[in-house]
Amino acid sequence: MKYKGRTVFSSVVITTVFVGLGVRLAFLHLRPSPEIMARIETARRLEQETRGPRGRILDRNGNMLAVDIAAKHVCADPKFIQQNGDIRAVCDALSSQLSMDRNVIWAMLNQPDRQYVRIQKFMREETIQPLRAMNLKGLVFEDVPIRDYPKGVLGAHVIGYANYEGVGSAGIEQRMNSVMQGVAGLRISQKDGRRREIYGTRTVNIEPQPGADVYLTIDQQIQHFAEKALDNLLAKYHPKAAWAIVQNVRTGEILAMASLPTFNLNRFSTAPAEWMRNRAINYTYEPGSTMKAMVIASALDCGAVRTTDIFDCENGAWFYGGTTLHDSHPYGRLTVADIIKKSSNIGAAKVALQMGNAKVYQSLRAFGFGDSTGLELPGEDAGILWKPDRWSKISITHIAMGHEVLVTSMQMLSAIGAIANDGVRMRPLIIRKVVNSKGETVLSPQPQVLGRPIRPETSKQMRRLMARVTQPGGTGTQAALPGYLVAGKTGTAQKVNLEHGGYYHDKFMASFVGFLPVENPAISIIVVADEPQQGGYYGGTVCAPFFREIADQTVRYLRIPPEGFTTEYVTDIENSGSGEESISD
Amino acid sequence: MINRQRVRSHKAQVRIPFPVVLANILVFVAVFGLSYVWLCARCDTLGQEIKRLETVQRETRRRMINEQDRWSSQLAPANLDRALKRHNLAMHLPNEQQIVRVRNGAVSPSATLAYNK
Repeated sequence: MKYKGRTVFSSVVITTVFVGLGVRLAFLHLRPSPEIMARIETARRLEQETRGPRGRILDRNGNMLAVDIAAKHVCADPKFIQQNGDIRAVCDALSSQLSMDRNVIWAMLNQPDRQYVRIQKFMREETIQPLRAMNLKGLVFEDVPIRDYPKGVLGAHVIGYANYEGVGSAGIEQRMNSVMQGVAGLRISQKDGRRREIYGTRTVNIEPQPGADVYLTIDQQIQHFAEKALDNLLAKYHPKAAWAIVQNVRTGEILAMASLPTFNLNRFSTAPAEWMRNRAINYTYEPGSTMKAMVIASALDCGAVRTTDIFDCENGAWFYGGTTLHDSHPYGRLTVADIIKKSSNIGAAKVALQMGNAKVYQSLRAFGFGDSTGLELPGEDAGILWKPDRWSKISITHIAMGHEVLVTSMQMLSAIGAIANDGVRMRPLIIRKVVNSKGETVLSPQPQVLGRPIRPETSKQMRRLMARVTQPGGTGTQAALPGYLVAGKTGTAQKVNLEHGGYYHDKFMASFVGFLPVENPAISIIVVADEPQQGGYYGGTVCAPFFREIADQTVRYLRIPPEGFTTEYVTDIENSGSGEESISD
Repeated sequence: MINRQRVRSHKAQVRIPFPVVLANILVFVAVFGLSYVWLCARCDTLGQEIKRLETVQRETRRRMINEQDRWSSQLAPANLDRALKRHNLAMHLPNEQQIVRVRNGAVSPSATLAYNK
């Protein structure tokens, strides 16, 4: 009885406390305040934005050249490892598996107040597999997409690369970035105490859409032929750089575009900027004698000369306009056909003078010089072809032999392609089609005619004249391919001395451009070498053999039938009255 | 009028007692509640299963792409060249001298006839 009052009091207090807690609990559950509700909502809300994979790049036959693959960031929780694991063991394992300095890893993990450090970024699944098998506590493998280029260096300059944020930064990756980028997905849901999604609370679920696949006109096998030939060229003549393009004459499709030095796309960040330059489209140079083909084609087309017309080539030196033009070898009288075959500068200059400034300019513009070709690659240069009002008296003679004009290899190949393709200049194509994630073709560029610089009859004449360049006595005999008639033109140009003006006497651009088979051209090829260092510098010596190497493998790969290797085109000077060449078999 | 009163009194006699009604209601509520709980649990299980399958699908897709990538890498012309060299398989295109060319006009009619037979 003594403690009755206290007991009652205690009971009342405890009951009051519990009732109070009960009432509070009831209020929290039944009528929570908006503020508390908002806090709960925020803590539970799960909003995940998932990046749609970037579209692939494939060659014309569907071989994969670029794809997004799953990689991992290797991360760690230093606090957890310090409390629950053996930091030394983790350090040793990471150091051996990731080939990293142990001290660096130790410094990262020895931070007891941190709960997150990233040890290594963008690791491939197969690399981290052994690490994962060790089941080390405190290590986390974060999923991350990474752009992979399974062919490494193959077609590096055409494909280009996407940076670590998944944005195309060069080549096709850059040009087609907008269609290749996937559409991000969104998932709004709630998570439990262990931060796992509660499926039943998922309110928004938009799946990410992969970007469109881009099919190139490039054929990986022909690309390999071209790159291998350039490797051989580099090994033999040690030029500063070399590049080559293979094109389908009829459609304008680029089958291969190679440029050396090159770089591995999977390690693009370590490559010097100069290696990343696609010289086939953005290096302009004075082409030298390859330009004679276009000048003489135009002269024949406009009737200024005939193939059998004879020009005096002044025995190798001709004083004109206050300066002396030279031929590499002295020639006396040459027909127009032989001017091409022997590559006479003086002969070409005289042919151009027959045409006059305006016609030469117009015809070279019609062949596409001075304008970019419209190739779907970033950074294409337009070259330089000045208007005649800026020409000096002797400019026309220099332009006829490929000086005072800057071109890209793509322009030169496009112009030669017009000669091969019955006078029709095609727009170079690098993209074959674009297919979206539903399998629908959303873009399919069709062959496009850019112009008709010469008539079909002139084209036929020129094909036959250019075929003589690779035949005995021509400058490009090393480009001859048994079983096929090869038409081509050699080019050797002294490089411009930008520092002191004039030309270098020991620095040359060597090139060979041509097509085959002559009667029904299928492919055209250009090979260019910048400053060959040893073993020769003429286009016919340095580039023609590698033109043949590429052509030899490509015609067999494409199953282009031979057209009879005994046919030889000769110009009958004696019967020049007919004005046409005859064919002897 | 008398008939109506009889019917009413008969109805009053068959009225279900309150505890039974209460028991029925409680049983109904319990069954409803249990069904709800069971459905909730079922939905939860299905949700977890869907989540698991989503993860499996994502992993499988990821592995497929990675394998395609590795396969594509192995099929690179340079790698094929290296592999052929490693196994001493020198693959060269035939020389001009090794090629036999058959021209259209070179096949005699009798030979063509024999071939057709």
